[in-house]
Amino acid sequence: MSMIKTENIHKYFGENHVLNGIDLEIFPGEVMCVVGPSGSGKSTLLRCLNHLERITSGKIFIDGVLVDHRENDKDVLKSDPKKVAEMCAELGMVFQRFNLFPHKTALENVMIGPMTVKKVGKADAQKKAMELLEKVGIAEKANEYPSRLSGGQQQRVAIARALAMEPKIMLFDEPTSALDPELVGEVLEVMKQLAHAGMTMMVVTHEMGFAREVGTRLIFMDEGKIVEQGTPREVFENPQNDRTKDFFRSIL
Amino acid sequence: MTAMQARGFFDGTIVTIELTLISIALGLIFGMLLALARISKNKVVRGITWTYVWIFRGTPLMLQLIIVYFAIPLMANSITGSYINVSMFGAAVIGLTLNTAAYLAEIFRAGILSIDKGQMEAAKALGMTYKQAMLKIIIPQTYRRVIPPFANEFIMILKDTSLVIVIGLAELTRVSKQFAASGEWKFYFVAGAIYLFLTTISTFVFDKMEKHAARYE
Repeated sequence: MSMIKTENIHKYFGENHVLNGIDLEIFPGEVMCVVGPSGSGKSTLLRCLNHLERITSGKIFIDGVLVDHRENDKDVLKSDPKKVAEMCAELGMVFQRFNLFPHKTALENVMIGPMTVKKVGKADAQKKAMELLEKVGIAEKANEYPSRLSGGQQQRVAIARALAMEPKIMLFDEPTSALDPELVGEVLEVMKQLAHAGMTMMVVTHEMGFAREVGTRLIFMDEGKIVEQGTPREVFENPQNDRTKDFFRSIL
Repeated sequence: MTAMQARGFFDGTIVTIELTLISIALGLIFGMLLALARISKNKVVRGITWTYVWIFRGTPLMLQLIIVYFAIPLMANSITGSYINVSMFGAAVIGLTLNTAAYLAEIFRAGILSIDKGQMEAAKALGMTYKQAMLKIIIPQTYRRVIPPFANEFIMILKDTSLVIVIGLAELTRVSKQFAASGEWKFYFVAGAIYLFLTTISTFVFDKMEKHAARYE
């Protein structure tokens, strides 16, 4: 059964038709990379999946359960805010600009989700958080505030923070776009580890090397539509659509 | 200065401090609720709080105190036919609280709106509800930004407690006026020195708080 399934998602920002009929299914263990020119709706799609943006119309299923159904910007499915919050916690999110909580140390950033949302005790949360910081290779910075960390370190803490909620799937919204070039590698390395450990991932990215090496499926989006999809190898080596060809030509 | 006069100044100073601390503490809670209401999605709630702030910032505090102490009991009497008794101190606290809450609401609102949108998004992505995100993530981050204007308002209220002289409460200014009535002009300067002492201490404390709140930057 698919982990996430969307049916005919549309999203408008005013007159701007940002998502134009997206049908998508993500299965357990997949690493789905989403690429495309800026403004093609990649990030919006990701943000719609966990309610950071509300879809204009369409359906979203998570684990086969209908969690969002809207038509003309109105809820068809009435869902209470608590259920929505629980559902969001199943989808871990990593942002382009990290969005760490600046008033909390790295360790506290990782602890606060489980403590606040799942009511995990402090000692347990701390133990788990330390393990996760070790996993992303940054345990020695546990007691630093985010302002003292480099972009790459901040993004690794952000990944640990999302993992602390034990999400079923991790969504990455251009996780390396705000990083200095020399810091990109350390973040991609952590993501690669996660993928190898079997985490289901959806990654909006401009890192074609990562998509080719780690991705199990590649989606190319343009003007709010999925223009082409397949294994990264298929799409990179033998793009069918002219827009896909143009895009790869322009970035390579 | 006689012992009786010293005692009078001491009591007056205590009343001034009590008025300030109680009004600010109540105003803080009420002002935060108003600020949250001001950024609510509900238009009616927003409208009501906008009107509140508009009225209390747009009319003089002295008049507000007079209305609370003199006009409202009369109004209540002509409507219900029964008397309500408000003590001078109670009326002063109510007037000062209602007034400072309007100013604090705007300070808190500006503080909340100054926090990057990504913070609320990150909190929601972790599964926090709006309330949890506000309490754990957003509001704590406003402290550092809110302390300087809050300190300003605190000192303003500390000085404006002297306005309760119109309803006859024996706070610092009124005490000095009583003692000076016999021509002893020096007593006004004693009161001035005490106010200056109180505002200086407050400034010092708020500076410390601001530095502490900025420790993570």
